[in-house]
Amino acid sequence: MECREARQRIQDYIDGRLPPRPAGEVREHLGACGPCAAEERDLRGVGELLRLWSAARVGEREPQLSALWTRVRAGIEERRKPRHVPLLRRWLWVPAAAVVAVLGLLFYPSNDSRAPFHPNSFDVTVESIESDSATVALVDKGEGLPRVIWIIEHGKS
Amino acid sequence: MGSPDPKPRGCLPAIACIALLLFAHTVVASPDSPVAVDVGVVLASNEGTTMDPALSSIRNQLQSMFTYSSYRMVDRLGRTLNVGETGDFSLPGNRSMRVTPVPSEGTRVRLAVQIMEGDRNILTTTLGLKRGGMVLVAGPTYEKGVLILIISAK
Repeated sequence: MECREARQRIQDYIDGRLPPRPAGEVREHLGACGPCAAEERDLRGVGELLRLWSAARVGEREPQLSALWTRVRAGIEERRKPRHVPLLRRWLWVPAAAVVAVLGLLFYPSNDSRAPFHPNSFDVTVESIESDSATVALVDKGEGLPRVIWIIEHGKS
Repeated sequence: MGSPDPKPRGCLPAIACIALLLFAHTVVASPDSPVAVDVGVVLASNEGTTMDPALSSIRNQLQSMFTYSSYRMVDRLGRTLNVGETGDFSLPGNRSMRVTPVPSEGTRVRLAVQIMEGDRNILTTTLGLKRGGMVLVAGPTYEKGVLILIISAK
């Protein structure tokens, strides 16, 4: 491995983000190359300094963090307390949702071409009926049955 | 710091909307309001013993009116038409149907119906039916059976 490539990978190597094989190659290079090994030591030193500095900042902020956590915990406890919602109000959404669902089914414009027919009446008035090329007849078998207009096509039936 | 009381759920507005919907529905069903025309194109034949599931609700009526053993819905056509507006429906066998809602009185709807085969007029009729009512037009031959047109209007 060349120095340029090794230096591009040193930070990942220090952070343990390299797969085993590339990590081994970097380690081998660092063992044989003084300048790169020095670079690695410097980077490790910077990292250590940053960690110390962060810890010091957290220590300085400890009272505020502690107060924040206390407030968060109090909020969680508040949420856990059971709420005394009146029984009627608690369950009122059930009939409301049922009514909405039924109305949705009744009024929603359905494009379902396979929906069954649900006629509410077979009461039909045939005001006029004629044909230029067929014999037509009105068949009425009484209430409860639909009226049928029969078309008898000449020469086909 | 106490949490705010839970606000009432939106039940009252929902119920108000439902009431409004019901009211609107009764208002729009006036004689000159649009008519939803629904046409089921059924092929009735003696080939097999099929009863299309979509026809299950009128099975008894079909079997009382006709003597075929098989009823298969080959098409389902629908249009919402204003009074005076004509809807064209394409039917099997180079046939077509024109439906025009015409002015009516009371709660009934009136439909002017014309069925053509090519250029030939095979039926011209004017029907008066209740909203939700149904009438059948049967007889045009197709394949090994006849077509039954289930015409309903809402």
